Order: sequence, then structure tokens, then C-alpha cells
Amino acid sequence: MSAEELAREDPLLRALQGAGAVEEEPLRDPVRRLHVPLAELATATQSLIEAGGHFSGIFRSEADDSLRALLALRGELVVLRATLDSARSYPALSRVTPAALLPERELYDVSGVVPLDHPQLEPVLRPNADELQRVVTGPETFVIPYGPIRSGVFEAIQFPIDTGGEDILAFTVRPYFKRRNLEARFPGLDFDQGAYLAERVAGTESVAEALAFAQAVERVAGIEAPRLAQRWRVVHAELERIANHLDVGIKLAEDAALSVGVARFGVLKEQVMRLRARLCGNRFGRGVVVPGGIREKPLLQPAEVIEAIDAFEEDFRGDRSLLLATTSLTDRLIGSGRLDAETVIRYGGVGPIARACSLGIDARLERPYGAYGRLGFRIARATDGDAMARFEVRLDEIDQSLHLIRQALERMNVETAALRNAVSEASGEGCGWAEAPNGEVIYWLVLAGGLVEEAHIVSPSLRDWPLLSESYRGDVLTDVSFIEHSFGLTPAGADR
Amino acid sequence: MLKWLLRGLRHGVVTTGYPARTEPAPPGFRGRISVLDGAAAPESFADLCPTGAIQVKDGLVSLDRGRCILCGACVANAPDRFAFEATYETAVRRRSALVVGDEAAAALEEALPTLGDRSRTLRRSVHIRHVDGGSDGAEEWEIQALTNPYYDMQRLGLFFTPAPRHADVLLVTGGVTHSMREPLLRTYEVMPEPKAVVAVGTDACSGGFSATMGEVAGGVDQVLPVDVYVPGSPPAPIAILHGLLLAAGVVTREAAA
Amino acid sequence: MSVVLAIGYAGLVAAVLTAALSARAAAYVAAVACGLVGAVGIATAAGYTHASFSIGSWLGFGQTMLVSDGLAGIFLAATGVTGAAVSLALAQRNPSRLVGALHALILLAICVVIGSDQAFVFLLAWETITLSLYLLGSADRDRPGALFAGYFAGGMSKLGGGALLAAFALLYAKTGSFEFAVWAHQAPHLGDARDVAFVLFVIAFGSKLGLIPFQGPLPGLYAAAPGPSAATISIAFYAAFYGLWRLVFSILGTPPLWWGELVVSVGALTALVGILYAIAQDEIKRFLGYSSVEHAGIATIGLGLALVGEAAHLPRLAAAGLLAATLQLLMHGVTKALALLAADRVQTATGQEEMRPLGGLGPRLPLTAAGFGLAVVSLAALPPFGGFVSEWLMFMALLQAFRVNDTIAELVLALGGAALALTAGIALLAFAKLYGGIFLGRAREQLGRLHAPTRPAPGFVALALIALVLGPIAPWEIRWLGHGLEGLVGSDLIAQAVSFPLVLGPVYKGFSVMSPTWLAAGLTTFGLAAFVLVRLLARPRVRRAPVWVSGTAVPIATVQYKPEAYSNPIRVVLSGLYRFKRTVEVRQDNGKEIRVARTRMVPFFEDYFYRPIAAGSLLLSGRLRRLQSGNLGMYLLYILIVLLAALALIPALSR
Repeated sequence: MSAEELAREDPLLRALQGAGAVEEEPLRDPVRRLHVPLAELATATQSLIEAGGHFSGIFRSEADDSLRALLALRGELVVLRATLDSARSYPALSRVTPAALLPERELYDVSGVVPLDHPQLEPVLRPNADELQRVVTGPETFVIPYGPIRSGVFEAIQFPIDTGGEDILAFTVRPYFKRRNLEARFPGLDFDQGAYLAERVAGTESVAEALAFAQAVERVAGIEAPRLAQRWRVVHAELERIANHLDVGIKLAEDAALSVGVARFGVLKEQVMRLRARLCGNRFGRGVVVPGGIREKPLLQPAEVIEAIDAFEEDFRGDRSLLLATTSLTDRLIGSGRLDAETVIRYGGVGPIARACSLGIDARLERPYGAYGRLGFRIARATDGDAMARFEVRLDEIDQSLHLIRQALERMNVETAALRNAVSEASGEGCGWAEAPNGEVIYWLVLAGGLVEEAHIVSPSLRDWPLLSESYRGDVLTDVSFIEHSFGLTPAGADR
Repeated sequence: MLKWLLRGLRHGVVTTGYPARTEPAPPGFRGRISVLDGAAAPESFADLCPTGAIQVKDGLVSLDRGRCILCGACVANAPDRFAFEATYETAVRRRSALVVGDEAAAALEEALPTLGDRSRTLRRSVHIRHVDGGSDGAEEWEIQALTNPYYDMQRLGLFFTPAPRHADVLLVTGGVTHSMREPLLRTYEVMPEPKAVVAVGTDACSGGFSATMGEVAGGVDQVLPVDVYVPGSPPAPIAILHGLLLAAGVVTREAAA
Repeated sequence: MSVVLAIGYAGLVAAVLTAALSARAAAYVAAVACGLVGAVGIATAAGYTHASFSIGSWLGFGQTMLVSDGLAGIFLAATGVTGAAVSLALAQRNPSRLVGALHALILLAICVVIGSDQAFVFLLAWETITLSLYLLGSADRDRPGALFAGYFAGGMSKLGGGALLAAFALLYAKTGSFEFAVWAHQAPHLGDARDVAFVLFVIAFGSKLGLIPFQGPLPGLYAAAPGPSAATISIAFYAAFYGLWRLVFSILGTPPLWWGELVVSVGALTALVGILYAIAQDEIKRFLGYSSVEHAGIATIGLGLALVGEAAHLPRLAAAGLLAATLQLLMHGVTKALALLAADRVQTATGQEEMRPLGGLGPRLPLTAAGFGLAVVSLAALPPFGGFVSEWLMFMALLQAFRVNDTIAELVLALGGAALALTAGIALLAFAKLYGGIFLGRAREQLGRLHAPTRPAPGFVALALIALVLGPIAPWEIRWLGHGLEGLVGSDLIAQAVSFPLVLGPVYKGFSVMSPTWLAAGLTTFGLAAFVLVRLLARPRVRRAPVWVSGTAVPIATVQYKPEAYSNPIRVVLSGLYRFKRTVEVRQDNGKEIRVARTRMVPFFEDYFYRPIAAGSLLLSGRLRRLQSGNLGMYLLYILIVLLAALALIPALSR
């Protein structure tokens, strides 16, 4: 279908065209590209959001000195492109959606392009730990700078908590302490090396990041990975999801001082990590996913993997029911950190956090990639939006992951099929995504001559951090770690 | 509580006997990369490595394990010169000991005395403070795994402590970003003597992939004096345990070259 | 000894007069006079002598003597010692002549209350105290709300004075005399009048002590009193306690059971409410005021227990309760005066009345910090200090409730014990907040130069030393108290609280033991030994490192817990009692969003008790005012009505 025909079909697109949007060559379904005038970027974003879209990210593309705003709308990714002019400024999207607050500050720090009327345009990328961030003033309030070094083995991030002593008046999230600027490391790498780098952007979501990167390259090259490789990719991605969700269980049990829960879930997680190590030589599934397929033959036969999965599932069922029956843990989770669906939608939240507010947001179903389109599973959902709901969603997803792994491994013909298709001469720009354990991660790449020229990453953890601030309603200091761990986000992924 | 107890009893003891008994890595485990002897190496070998860990000088090839992210590109392209080793113990006490292949290139530096040398009691009980200097998040998982029943580091007298004033060992992950530099230095300053610093992960040893970006200092030793280096991306829990015990002076055998 | 007593009283009178010339001199004279009175009190309470002198009948209603017997001796000793120290401290502060005169007047009135043997003089002196409290409360004209503090305190005391007058009038009507001795003799035949008198006495003395529901004015009074005169006001507690001890326990004779139950309930409630309000206070002197309310409640619990013991014919129980209560009020009197003096020093040095802007004053005001610390550890009942001894004895005495055979009494005593335990726990937190908020941590606001008191402070130091040793010398104190309280609980019972060597127990032998003396000796010895060992054996290599604030270098003063934060959990949990609400209002300021937190806390009693009563009485008096229309004709009509009524009534009554 030509661009004009598409526009005739889609009333939204017609409305946007009224604002000056021009549809460009679609980047292969389901990514739609629109070029809008710079001054209309904010209004176009607003129209899309009002039509039910979710803001994903905004960045500046060096290749053509333009801004790209990514939104998800009814299962499609819509990319709004606006060429920058000499004024180096544009109307801020933060006025339209609070989900753009942090990304636009980062954009300003990285490129110097000014989002006009941004409510809080301060430097964000190299936070100074010695500055105290206060949100609430008053004679009886003070700030607890919780972080960047906290009590326990945690990643570095700071949470300035405004409090009167026990009640929480404001909870701020201050990321970017771990800024390594890895996006700027991609240019010049070939696709192999790019995959290695992608794995190390968010270490606990290595497979998902590599998947998003690989699929972006494959989309540009116009090829797909072989079916066998797609199945193995599903196995690794779901094993990673299980490990992440078990880790959340360990942390919540530790907060509730439930040592038996910590130990049992620790055993389960270790079983999963060891299975991954036996499968590919690395406990985090690194070195498996590469643009075009997977690198090597797995070191285990499908039957061995299923055997390990079965043993794991039996253990997991027992431990899960015991954990959920322990009131000393569930009492702390029920009612804590309640989020409502409107807030999640407004901030563009993704992942188990969104699904715990009964939103059906999952990239595997909205924009199926790899083998997910052929496998059957359902989205795990809960309605309460509190810490217990988020935990239950994750426990449910472990079940779904096991189901997916079994489906991927059954009737797998390991002997004949190829593992990798060639992608060496891909050129152009493209978009890839994957559902990481914390939500959808999107990679936007510009490729040229077999090398990566530019890379931009939309991280689910960064999108969900503002929701943590919004979730402290009437909670007290002792609930802080429960709510934070029920979110289960990774600062390394957010800070990149 | 009784049901938990019964579950635990039914599963029996899963704790490893390390370091009293050796703990073998599973076959195919990517513990570290070794340089095999062979003919003169072409200069192009250096381009195989995305982080620049491979150096070729006069046909002699050396591999800096502190920069190696275990991607396996060199092994895939030159399997006669590079090979994976399925081993857990990778920790060393000198940075130069991480460079293998070209013996002459490795300078001889003095190893710092271990904690155990400085205080006998510290061999039996060591308190560890972890600081994240900008890692990718995986090393934290492996460090946290040390408290699960498989590894149970507390049976060896190792404990995590939240207060740096009570800590003997500073465990650092990540290559030290701008914002974490001052907090890391402050943590070190506030720890009482004798103390040791253990750098965990390739990022902490050399900065890894992000070493060339201006955001990261390029390894913990650019900021603090490091006693033990544990390379790996990320290093396995046993490797970290090996490194900790090395720093405490409980084990003296470093990773063999 | 009688001569010395007379000289002491005369000295106090002289002090009042001297104040017209120089307040400083008056304070010194008052100090000497108090010292004399205190010495006499100690001697008479110990049973060595007996002191009394007559002041003739010119004050009215027969021969009046000022007597110092066992019970009065105890209270005179306490007043004398505390009064002397406070007078010395007052002299250092160069007060105004009015304050100097009122200080001496209060001390004189207290001593007269304690010493008088007949009701009229007692009442006269009591009302003098009331008047002085009112004047002291309003002395500082510049202070906003000062007049109200004086009015409120004066009004509440007047209410108590009214009740006292009614009680005395009732007893006079029944016995025909104002003499206490006569009343004691006739007490068993008074019938219902005894119960009415009891209730009136509790109201009268409770209003001065701050028992529920009369606790309202006391904290404001402490805060409004200028300089160290708040300590003077706290000495008035002795007079109120003396009144309860003498009139309720001693004179009214063997009580029915419900007297004790009522007193215990009131005391327990007072203690609990007192500390719950104290912990929510930010002003130092108001905090100490509510703490006084709490301790008054605790001592009242002991009195109630003694009444129960008397009613149940268990003299040992009565002795245990009375001992605990007397010790409690003595300890409290000394340490509260010390605390108020220290609070005044802090106020002088920093110009701040609230805890919030302070912090880190320990190194800058070392003497004040040490004195305040001694007062605080005793008030919070930490071993081996005096407050701990008295509270321990109180708990042990309450645990004897099982010996009473009445279910309701046992229940009330058990609940009283539970309330006491809760109070003790919250008191620890409250005093940690007070001391930590002022002296520990870092300064929350830049206070600039401190006007630290540089002149030597003999009164303050003396009181601090007394507070230090009051705990360890408890065995001797108890023996001394035993002599003094002989007349009330029979001989030798209280002395049984001390067993050899230097070990305390409740009056029931073998129930439990504790020894503050040995504890103090042990702590000091071990502390010294540890210090010496460390110095000898360890290599003192000290390296200083900054305080750990999560790895940041944020100034500690901005992130340390504020004093309110200590009480925040309790305020949130008991928000019904405090009517506590915290709101965050969002304002726009120059386009930036600012959030300000506002806290609202309205004490329960103010809203549901005082305000309605005040409003009601204002309404009533407004209605009654219409009687005073100013119309001569109406007044003549009133006279006519009254005349006719009198004429009608006289024949009816004479029949």
C-alpha cells in the first residue's frame, strides 16, 4: 500500500497530516514512520497519546540531525521524525506527557538541544552525590539521602526521601549515577561486537538487550533468524526472565527477614543460572544471541533441558505456595506502593509493573517477534497495582515462561537446521525490540557498510523509574525497600 | 515454619566444599581465555578483540585478562591460539598477572600483603562492604549469590556489612563512573586499617567496554589501590569467593597463569 | 531546733522584703533561709528532734503553730534543699525585683503550707502560692501569650483553691475546728463528709499538680515564667504533694477501697497523657511541664496504692506504695528543678525556646549538657540513678496487687501497672528526643555566637551533684524516709525495704532485690578499670574520618533526624489523641513548583474539654451579667426580694 492509501484508511493519520505530518516509507511492519515539522512535534505526540498511544522515548539522530520520538500505538511503533534547525530547540514533549521528563533532560545534556518550556531542565547525567535534593520544605521535614551507596549489595542509585520522620512526603528517584555512555560506544563496531556490547548495557537482561539489537539489525537487513535459532532464543530469554523474577522474590523475602524464603529462592535461582551455564558456557546467557541467529550449538540436548526444567518446576511450585502462605511477607506487600492504571499510562510504564495494574502491555503479544508469534501463552495480569500484585504477576510469568520453554523445545529438530543467517552487508536504519524481564527494550540503529553507525536504546527501567516516585501514597519509611524491590528495576539498564 | 524446615531437610545439603575441596566448573564454562603456543601471530589478531585485550608485538601475542570480556571472538577466529578454560579460579593479586601469553611483557610488581598477613584474626572473620562503581548489574547478582545455600560464604567467616566503619574488605564492581568516584573514595577513607580492595569483574579491572568513554575512570585501580583482581564478565561466584579468600589470606594460591 | 526553724522562716520573710531593694540580695537571703529550713527538715524527719514555734493567733482562728514533724520534715527538707539551690541559681541571673520577690514569696508560702498545723493558715498560704503563680506567669510582659499563661494557671489554681476552701469549710462545719489534729481525731465519725472532702482534696491538690483534667496550664506556665523561676514553680509541687499526704492519707483516716482505686486510675491516666503530650512538644519548657505532669501521675499511682493498702488492712502494701510515691516525688523535685535550670541556661545562651533549631550544643555548653544529662537520665528512669530507684520500687509495689482480695482493686492496680510500663517506655524515647535534639548531633541552624554563662553556677552544680548521688545513696534515704513516715504507716515497715548490705527490695522481703549503690560502685569501678586497661594495653592510634552519609558529603545538619521525627510514629499512630494531620501544599513561586509541608496538631483536651467549658462558662456569665443591669430600680428590687425571702425562711428554719 502506498503512503497515500494508508493515510486514507487511518483517520489518525489524516489528522496528523493536517498538522503537517508526512508518512514515510514504512520500516517494515509494524513500525510506522512519520515526518513532522519541528514545531508540531509536541502536538503530534499529543494526538497520538490521546488516541491511546504510549510514549516510549526521544533521542537525537546524528545521521540526519533530527529528533526521533518513539510511541507505541495499538500494537505498532510510530516514529515521529522532526529535522532540527539552527535554533537547536523544540517545544518540549514533557508538557504533553510526563513520560518525556527524564528522556528530554538526557537529550539536552547529550546534544544541547533545548526542549522549550520543560518544567525541570537541570543537568541530569552526572549527578553530584553531595548535592541535597529537596522537594518538600517546611519546619518539620528533612531529607534522607538514601544512596548512592546503600546498605546491602545493590546497584548505585540515589533516592532522596523527604520525610517528617516516618511518613514519606515525597520520594524522588535520582538515576544516572552509573552513566557509562555506552550508546556512544556502538559506532564503529561490527554486528558481532555490537551484540557483545548490547549484552553489557544491562547485565541482568543481557539476552533481551542482545535480542533487541539483533532484531534491529535483522530488520534492516530484511532477514529473519532460522527457526531453530529463534526457538533457542526463546529458551534463553525465558530462562533470563525466570532468573529475574526469582531475584525479585529473593529480595522481597530478605526485606521481610524471611531467611528460609531467601534460601529456597536462592537455590531455585542458582539452579536456573547453572542451567544457563551448562547450556551456553555463561551463566547469563551471553554470547548466544547474534544478529542472524545464534552463535553456537547449545551444549545440551533439548531433552536434558526439559529434564532440568521439570525438576525446577516441582521445586518452584512448593516454594511458591509456601512463600505466598507466609503472612509475615504478604502482609508487608499487600496495599504497599499502590499504583493506578492512569498513572502508569501517563508515564508510559511497561513490564510487570504495568501488568500489575491490569494493563495488557507486553511486546511479545503486541508486536510478536521471533518465535513468539507461533507459541501460545497468556499475559500475566493482576488488578490491585500494589507490591503484592507486582509480585504475583512475576510469579505467574515464571509459569508462563516454563510453558514457553517447553513449547520451544518440543519437537525440536537439532540436527538439520542452520543456526545463523548472514547479515554482514546491512545498511540503513531500523528498530528492534524485545520484552525484557522489566518491560520492553527498544533499539534504534543506523547501520552502514557492515558496521553500526549509531545506536539509541529505550530502556524499560528508565521508563518505569518515575512510577516509583508516584507509588508512595501514604506509605512509611519501613515500606521503602518492599516497594522498591517489588519494582525490580535495574539502574544499569536505565543509566546505560 | 515446619513446612519450610521439612522442605529444607528433604533437599539435603547442597553447599559446595570449596575451598577445602575443588569445585569443578561445568564443561564448556567460559571461565577465562588462555593463549596457546604457536607460530608467529599476525598483527590482525589485535583487531579480533572488541575491548583491545589482545596485543601483538614482534609476533608474540599477549592477552590482558583484565580487559577480556569472554566474548569468544578470538577463540572463534583463531582456535589454535586461543582457547576457553572451564575454570572458576581466576583471581590474582597483581594487575600484571592478568596479562598472559608474553611473559616478557608482564612486569614484576610486588604483591601487597594480604589482610591475613596484617592481622591474624582477619583470617577467620572478614567483613565485606560492596560498592557499585558503575557495573552492568550482573556482578551484583553473582556477589549476592554468595549467600545462597550453594556457596554460603558465611561458613568461611565472610560477612556482608552495611557500615563501612566495620568493614575489612571493599568489594568494588564497575569501572568507577564520574558520579561514583567520590562516594567510592569516601567509603575507602572511612574504612579502618587494615583493609583490602577487591575489584570484581572486567569492568572493575580495566573499565571493560566503557574504558574508552570519558565517563568511566578505567578500572578501580585508577582510583584506589587494589589488592585482588577478579576478572570475568561476570566472574562466577566461586571466582569471587576465590578472590575474597585471597585478599583475606585464607588461600594463598592465585590463579595459575 | 525550733529556733533555727523560726530563723529560717523569718529569713524567708526578710527575703521577700529585701527584694524591694535588690533581687540578688533577696535571692541570697532566701538561699540561706532555705538551707536552714532544709537542715531542720532533715533533722526532724530523721527523728533526732522535733521543731515547732508558734505564730500566735493574729492570722486568725486560734493559736497557730508552724511544726516540723516527721512528714513535714521530709517535705521541708526537700523544699529547703531545692529552694536553696534554685535561689543561688536565680541570684546568678540577676532577676527583676518582682521576680525576686515572688520567688521568695513562693518559697515562704510553700514552707508555711508544709509547716502549718491548722487549716486556715494552710489555705492562706495556699492561695498565696496561687497568687504568686499568676503573677509569675504574667511577669514577662514582652512574651506573646504571657498574660494568657498566667490567667490560665491562676484560674485553674483558683478552681483548686475553691475546692480546698469548700473541703475545709465542710470539715469545719462537721468538727467545729480548723486544727488538723482535731480533724484527725474526729475523722472516723465524719461519715459521708469524709468522701466529699476526699474528692475535693483530690481536685484541689490535683489542680496544682496537673492531674487529669487539670494539666492544661502547667506547661504554659513553665514556658512563660521568666528565667529560672520556672524551677521555683516546680517546687510548688512539694506543697501539693504534702497536702495529699497529710490531708488525704494521714488525717482522713482509714479509707474505703474506692478512694485508692480512683486515685490510681487518675494517676495512671495522668502519667500516660502527660508523656504522650510531652513527646509531641517542641518547646523545651513545655516538654518539661508535661513531664512534670507525668511524674505527678506516677507519684499519685503510688499514693493510690498506699490507700488501697490501708483500705485492705495490708500495712506492708501501704508502706510499699507510700515509700515508692515519696521517693518518686523527691527524685522528681530535685531533677525537674535541675532540668529547668539547665533549660534556662540553654535559653539564655542561644535565645531559643524550641528544640528544633538547636543541636550539637554538647561541646559548646559542657556544664549545662552534663547537668541536663543527669536530670534526663533520672527523669527517664535509667539505672543506677534516683528516678530508676523510685520507679523500680513503684513497679515492685504494684506487683503486690495480688495480695489484695478485691477483684476490682486488683484490676485497677494491674491496669495502673500496665500504664506505668507504657509511660516508662515512651519516656525513654521522649527524653532521648529532648537530650539528643539539644545537645547531640550537629546544629540545625546557625546559632552564631552563644552567650554561654561564664560565671560560676554554684546552685546548678550543687543540684547536679545531688542528682548524681540520689540514686546510689538510696538505702540511707529510705531509712531516713522510714523515720519520717513513721506516723503514717507504722514504725519500721519502710525501713524493711533495705536489707543488708545496701540492697533494696519492696517492703515485702524476698520478693525481689536491687541495689543502686552496688550498681553505681560496680559501674564506676569497671568503667575506670576499662579505661586504664585500654590506656595501658592498646596503642591509641586515632584517625578521624567523616560521618557516613550513604557515601555523600551532604551537611549532616540537614539530613539528621529532627526532634519531631522521634515522635512522628507515635503522632501518626495516635492521631486521634493528637488530632495530627500533615498536609503538603503545592505553591507556584516564579513558575517553579514548591511544596511546603504543614503540620497541624491540636491536643485532645484543649479541643474537647477546655474550650467547651470555657465557652460554656462565658455563655453562662454572659447571661448572668444581665442581672447587673446598672438600673437602680432593679437593684432595689433585688434587695426587696432577698429581704422577703430571708423573712420567709427564718421562721421555716427555726422550726
